[in-house]
Amino acid sequence: MGETVTGGKISLEHVTYKYSVGTPFEKTALDDVSLSFEGGIITGLMGHTGSGKSTIAQLLNGLLKPTSGTVRIDGKDIWEDPKKIREIRFRVGMVFQYPEYQLFEETVAKDIAYGPRNMGLEESEIEARVLDAARFTGLEAECLEKSPFQLSGGQKRRVAIAGIMAMRPEILVLDEPAAGLDPQGRREILGGIREYQRENGATVIIISHSMEDLAVYADKLMVINQGHLFRYGTSHEIFCHAEELKQVGLSRPQITKFMMELKREGLDAGEGIYTVGDAFEAVLRLFGGERSHAE
Amino acid sequence: MLSDITLGQFFPGNSPLHKLDPRMKIFLIILFIVTIFCASSLLSFCLVLGSAAFLTILSRIPLRQILKGLRPLFLIMLFTAILNIFWTSGENLLWQWGFVKIYAEGLWYALFMIVRVVTLIIGSSVLLTYTTSPIALTDGLERVLSPLRVLHLPVHEFSMMMTIALRFIPTLIQETDKIINAQKARGADFTSGSLFQRMHALVPVMVPLFVSAFHRADELAVAMECRCYHGGEGRTRMTQLHLSGRDYLFLFFMLALFALVLLCNSVSFW
Ligand SMILES: Nc1ncnc2c1ncn2[C@@H]1O[C@H](COP(=O)(O)OP(=O)(O)OP(=O)(O)O)[C@@H](O)[C@H]1O
Ligand SMILES: [Mg+2]
Repeated sequence: MGETVTGGKISLEHVTYKYSVGTPFEKTALDDVSLSFEGGIITGLMGHTGSGKSTIAQLLNGLLKPTSGTVRIDGKDIWEDPKKIREIRFRVGMVFQYPEYQLFEETVAKDIAYGPRNMGLEESEIEARVLDAARFTGLEAECLEKSPFQLSGGQKRRVAIAGIMAMRPEILVLDEPAAGLDPQGRREILGGIREYQRENGATVIIISHSMEDLAVYADKLMVINQGHLFRYGTSHEIFCHAEELKQVGLSRPQITKFMMELKREGLDAGEGIYTVGDAFEAVLRLFGGERSHAE
Repeated sequence: MLSDITLGQFFPGNSPLHKLDPRMKIFLIILFIVTIFCASSLLSFCLVLGSAAFLTILSRIPLRQILKGLRPLFLIMLFTAILNIFWTSGENLLWQWGFVKIYAEGLWYALFMIVRVVTLIIGSSVLLTYTTSPIALTDGLERVLSPLRVLHLPVHEFSMMMTIALRFIPTLIQETDKIINAQKARGADFTSGSLFQRMHALVPVMVPLFVSAFHRADELAVAMECRCYHGGEGRTRMTQLHLSGRDYLFLFFMLALFALVLLCNSVSFW
């Protein structure tokens, strides 16, 4: 099974990527993949472990060069002039999986400013962007003057994400931005990403294993299976095929399963519920009459 | 990419050489080196060269790989060969032009020198580096050196340190790769600017690398202590090394080669 999506803000065209070419450890991570991300929305990229999500992410901002095939932004091949690849990296911001390790400066503010400074911006502009990025990621002002090594894991994560946001990329790719955080931390970070997307009209790609998070925060979902595009669509289009998802090692959000259970027990609150918020609404609707009594 | 550098050059495989006991391999390679340096006649050099070729075939390492290993030494070999050709004096003058004299002896020396270096490298890489995993190698070394414990040398600790170091080299390389990529994504530029600027550009890589290396070392020490690691005393092994028939066969082969080479040395030819 396979799908292709064309056009879009940023796309891969017949991209094959092999790791360690020419050694005994050669490994094909992506095999003739064509896919495209729509501009101005948040796309959730999901797929089981080792399906090639991180590889796709690094191809998008030119950290990896396709073994064959092309990567296009607004229809233009990013490898057309390899000398200009640094500019592509400014346009496509990339937050790696567990990005905490990339912090190195004396203070958080300086660390966030590293990217903008590399872009050659003016000091006043850099300062404004640092504050902006800190706001999106929910870093308090007193944090900014601390050493990044004094922070907790979750705070470090925010600093790392802020470091990329401060570059104001038009396309922002985040590899598991919320992995290993508490529910509130997840909400704050993902909410901040949504805010960034709205304020800048940016194209955002979030890689995640959490169906729950993606159901809430992503406008469209893309499923990758063994280095191929498997499905692309809205969360409803993806999550209504429970069997198909199971085949590729994924599952529907917990809340969907829960609502199915409820239905089996005789409480039918409706189909197509993928977020806790929707479930809340649906249950209220179901007990509509009793709501006012309870209040 | 940085991680494409194969360290220690180990080439996983299943050849007879891969299956040899690492202790035996260490001994064999010493014997082979001695043999190479004992060889002094054309016939004995042919023997040495032939056995190096034989070992290569046995190891099933692609020839391309072995030639790649020889390439860095090509210039040095060429240079010493030229030195040998022009500076060796002997009795059989072949050619003279002004003060430049070339003797037959010089040519022979140059040839022997090249054969020596080539067989030395092929022999050691095929016997040891290409066919022995780093872990097996340190294990073998620990056993070979274990008699030194009598002198209160911490043989086990050294080999443990070596094993850990070897184990973490790929991890560190991967990590460096990851950090370099993360900083590149933030616009780091490692390839342009003056030397000082380039060194400065490495700070964002070195700081996280050191931080994580120390962190990792700390975690590993705690993990080892949690499992009651307390040094080499009374420690048993998961994989016991046994000398098999194959090991003795190779030993016999190498001893025979040594004896033959000594014998052939007396067969002179010029
Ligand atoms: N540096 C590398 N060298 C060799 N193979 C690699 C390397 N990085 C990834 N691979 C391989 O490429 C394939 C895709 O890896 P990738 O990291 O893109 O997966 P992923 O979808 O991000 O997985 P995860 O959800 O676990 O992060 C995997 O099979 C992996 O083994
Ligand atoms: Mg990944």
